[in-house]
Amino acid sequence: MAFIRLNKIKPTKDALADVGFPYYTCRKCLGRGKKPVDQSSLRPVCETGTDILSYSTPDSSLELTRLIPKRFFTLIVEDEDVQLVVDTIIAANKTGNPGDGKIFILPILESYRVRNGVRQTHQ
Amino acid sequence: MLLIRAIIRPEKVSLVLSELLAAGFPACTKMDVFGRGRQKGVRVGDVYYDEIPKEMLLYVVNDEDKDTVVRIIMKNARTGENGNFGDGRIFTSPVEDAYTISTGSRGL
Repeated sequence: MAFIRLNKIKPTKDALADVGFPYYTCRKCLGRGKKPVDQSSLRPVCETGTDILSYSTPDSSLELTRLIPKRFFTLIVEDEDVQLVVDTIIAANKTGNPGDGKIFILPILESYRVRNGVRQTHQ
Repeated sequence: MLLIRAIIRPEKVSLVLSELLAAGFPACTKMDVFGRGRQKGVRVGDVYYDEIPKEMLLYVVNDEDKDTVVRIIMKNARTGENGNFGDGRIFTSPVEDAYTISTGSRGL
């Protein structure tokens, strides 16, 4: 489960496909990190008309709870591949600035393939 | 580390976010979701709403902070004195590992 910058989606997809993980699920989300959002860095973007804030709902545009659009990326892999995938995502997304995102590793107990009902356990 | 998934009323999001920020939990993720609960949606007059819009908040916290975060969400996402159906659910699940992309470091 990774939260990444919107403009890094394509490089991440390409990098993961290159190392053999073409499958993923992703969706839009809003979020904030440990550091407060730097309003001054957002202002020029707003003025140039880029719709960075168009995902924001009216309540999230309050100064206090301002959230930043991110991409929420989910990938299910075997235990031995975790390190490779983490390294790939970090390499593709690293700009060195706060806001690059976060990766969380969650256990998956089992999975089923809807097409034929095949069950796979992951321990 | 634990992942806290809270599915709450959209109008309560702003309050929950600001209370958690004040309590020292700034990092979170929010997304729009649709779903129904044990009441199988709601019926208003003749209209039956099967999927009700909610907001999902994701928080990854250390084990010892779980109770604090859950308590704050529960207190602020509740409507009325005793709460109502549709106020939402909170789920927690284990997180094995966390990485920060900008530094590549492990941990929260």
